Amino acid sequence: MAWRVLIVEDDPPMRAFFAASVLRSDQLSLVASVGTVAEARAWLDDPAHGVDVLLTDLGLPDGSGLEVIRHARLRQPSCEALVISMFGDEDNVLASIEAGALGYIHKDATPGDIAHSILEMKAGASPISPMIARRVLLKYLKLQSNQPLALSQRAEVAINKEADSGGRNLLSGREQEVLALIARGFSYAEIARLKAVTVHTVQTHIKNLYGKLAVHSKSEAVFEATRMGLLPSQG
Amino acid sequence: MTVSLGCTATFHYDAAMMAWCADRLWKSASARWLLPVLLGWLALVGVAQAELLTLIEARAHVTVNGATTTQNLQLPYHWDRFNKGQRGEAVFDLQFDLPERPTDPWGMYLPRLGNAYEIWLNGTLLQRQGDLLNYNGADYARVPRYVAISPALLQSSNLIRVAIRADVGRRGGLSALVLGPQEAVHAAYLHSYRWRGTGSLVVTAFSLVVGLVALSLWFTQPAPGLAGRTRRDPLYLFAALAELFWALAVSDVLIEKPPVPWPWWGVVQVVALGAWGVNMALFCVEVAGWGRRPAALWFGRWLGLLMAASVGMAAWALAGSQPLALTLWYGLLGITLLSFGVFFLGRALRQASAMHRVVAVALLVNVFFGLRDLYVFRINPTFAANTLLRYSSLLFGLALGYIVIARFRAASAQARDLLATLAVRVSQKEVELAESYRTLEILAREQERTAERTRILRDMHDGVGSHISSAIRQLQSGRVSQAELLQTLRDTLDQLKLSIDAMNLPPGDVTALLANLRYRLAPRLAASDIELQWGVDLLAPVQRLDAQAMRQLQFMVFEALSNVLQHARASVLRIEATMTPEGTRLRMVDNGCGFDATAPLRKGLQSMRERAQAIGATLSLHSAPGRTVVEILIS
Repeated sequence: MAWRVLIVEDDPPMRAFFAASVLRSDQLSLVASVGTVAEARAWLDDPAHGVDVLLTDLGLPDGSGLEVIRHARLRQPSCEALVISMFGDEDNVLASIEAGALGYIHKDATPGDIAHSILEMKAGASPISPMIARRVLLKYLKLQSNQPLALSQRAEVAINKEADSGGRNLLSGREQEVLALIARGFSYAEIARLKAVTVHTVQTHIKNLYGKLAVHSKSEAVFEATRMGLLPSQG
Repeated sequence: MTVSLGCTATFHYDAAMMAWCADRLWKSASARWLLPVLLGWLALVGVAQAELLTLIEARAHVTVNGATTTQNLQLPYHWDRFNKGQRGEAVFDLQFDLPERPTDPWGMYLPRLGNAYEIWLNGTLLQRQGDLLNYNGADYARVPRYVAISPALLQSSNLIRVAIRADVGRRGGLSALVLGPQEAVHAAYLHSYRWRGTGSLVVTAFSLVVGLVALSLWFTQPAPGLAGRTRRDPLYLFAALAELFWALAVSDVLIEKPPVPWPWWGVVQVVALGAWGVNMALFCVEVAGWGRRPAALWFGRWLGLLMAASVGMAAWALAGSQPLALTLWYGLLGITLLSFGVFFLGRALRQASAMHRVVAVALLVNVFFGLRDLYVFRINPTFAANTLLRYSSLLFGLALGYIVIARFRAASAQARDLLATLAVRVSQKEVELAESYRTLEILAREQERTAERTRILRDMHDGVGSHISSAIRQLQSGRVSQAELLQTLRDTLDQLKLSIDAMNLPPGDVTALLANLRYRLAPRLAASDIELQWGVDLLAPVQRLDAQAMRQLQFMVFEALSNVLQHARASVLRIEATMTPEGTRLRMVDNGCGFDATAPLRKGLQSMRERAQAIGATLSLHSAPGRTVVEILIS
């Protein structure tokens, strides 16, 4: 069975290009392609519609692709989102990951690359740039060391409450090592060799990381809200 | 001519009744108003009105220079009045009859007698003070005397004999005698003693305390003066001297045996009194704030002259038996002080500080009592009466107290104001400082923005701009393949991405820079079949590389890698980054065909050199077929 793909892109030629790229692959099927946040929401709200992959641009006429991603996660939890990014710059990518995206595709990618990226993601591989890796590392290090104990404890409590997996939410030692190597520019294959693991293991780490970032960003919001007194304290 | 000191205790006692009435009058009129607290105890004095016997008829044997004259006279007998400039002895016989002999103890009260004396009753010596033959010795004529009389001594006809020794100008003599039952007489005596003895002690103590306090104020409260020198306030000094001299003058009443013999002790008293007046006048000058005026200087000199003259005049008068000299001196001092007083009071009425006015009131009261004393002692000389100036002078001490308190209040108010002003100014400064900080910050931000804009413009020019224009040229030439054009446009987008990445690169982090480049060039490397070997160590940040330098370095590495990708035809490309003692070293080594490193530089290499120079890095190229090394050393 082919993965059902929804495309959200406001530029018609670009939309057509992505549609063509999806259609090239036997393993993918295009279920819809729309141009606005509202259309995407409406489509996702229809219970008759099912989707496995969301491919969305960020800059849409009536809002941000991030809204579409959040909405899709709400309506179709099994749907995995990929962001179409012009530059793959870290601010946008990080925001997308935190909104729940599991990867991103450059606008200048070749049609083959696009289909490949979608399938890779479905197979469990998410791309991560060294810049993003560095940012994530910094962010977690700060969270782990700089925060006052009480605050970080409360944060952890909040995170744990939010986490549906029940697993640890901060980075594991191995994940940190992988991130550090990515930040230094090593490829997945090189990391797998250095750490004597399979490439797939490395990819799993990265994908877990994506999940954690998304969960964490949500927890952070909860934590912030609690701290600001918008929500009752749960500690 | 009478020689008497204005301040020396004298007592007029025609009759106890009269004294009592006068005292009542005095107390009701002024004492209660003037010194209610200090002298309130005097109100306790009550004179019992019993039948008192006042003896004024006496038969006197006066011996002067060995010659004795006998006469009947009426007491009081003021020696200096009848024997001007002479010393001598006198014996007074007073007779009185009693209709019936009393059974209770009697007493005799003598308001004044001396300078030395013996009191006999019916041939029995009742009391003796001093040596009748020792002229200019101790003086016992200063306080009233009381003699207890046993009723056994009294007969129906009695003779009282009083012998005295009188020195020149020492207010010797004998006042009227008061006899009667012990209680009544003793009460009258006590009343008089309180005025003269205890009152003087209180005044002396008060003046001493005020004087010492003023002296310590003068010593410990220097005010900053001209030329950075501290200047002590003469106001306190004059007040201190005045009070101390006053204490000396008043305490004379309590001193029966002076440390120097009469008449020199008299000279001391005159000088003390003069010094009091002079210092008081100078004090008033300071109070009025005239201390710096030329007139005040001349006034001070005149007062100094008077003081200098006082010793000579007093010695002449007392030792040389020329009372006129002292009177003249007193007159000069009196006129001086009186004129000054009038001037001082006049100014106080028109425009003056509160301090000036308070002192003026004290002065007015003192002048009033001074004139009264002058009249009592000099114009209408009596053997009599108390000086009231002694008590009214306390007002000066109180005025000084007021001045000190007022000054202290003013000083603390000033300090408070100063603090408030200071606080206001500090907060003002804070506001100004915050303002200037903000201005600075705005300027800095503006500068930063300008620098950023310049960098972006340069970036667009060198990167995207140049690539797009070459794409246009390629299209215009019409001889370009689609692949070449695609490559140019891909380069354009890559440049754009790198430019955006450069904005996020942490300054100095060469590792991040290389990692990012690899990531961006990954698709091209993958497409080129070149094996990439990654030898990037964890590098310490190079502090001196700012955002712009990072971008320059990014350009250089990008250029080097592009060269390998496009021209080298290599199969292996090794990228190394290590920390060496010389600095951070980047190396790009490929096994391609190489190029002539000594030939005139191509455009790409030329630009690499320029950029290396701009960021202070060393660029070295070694090329041979099979091994080309591009090395960038950032020291």
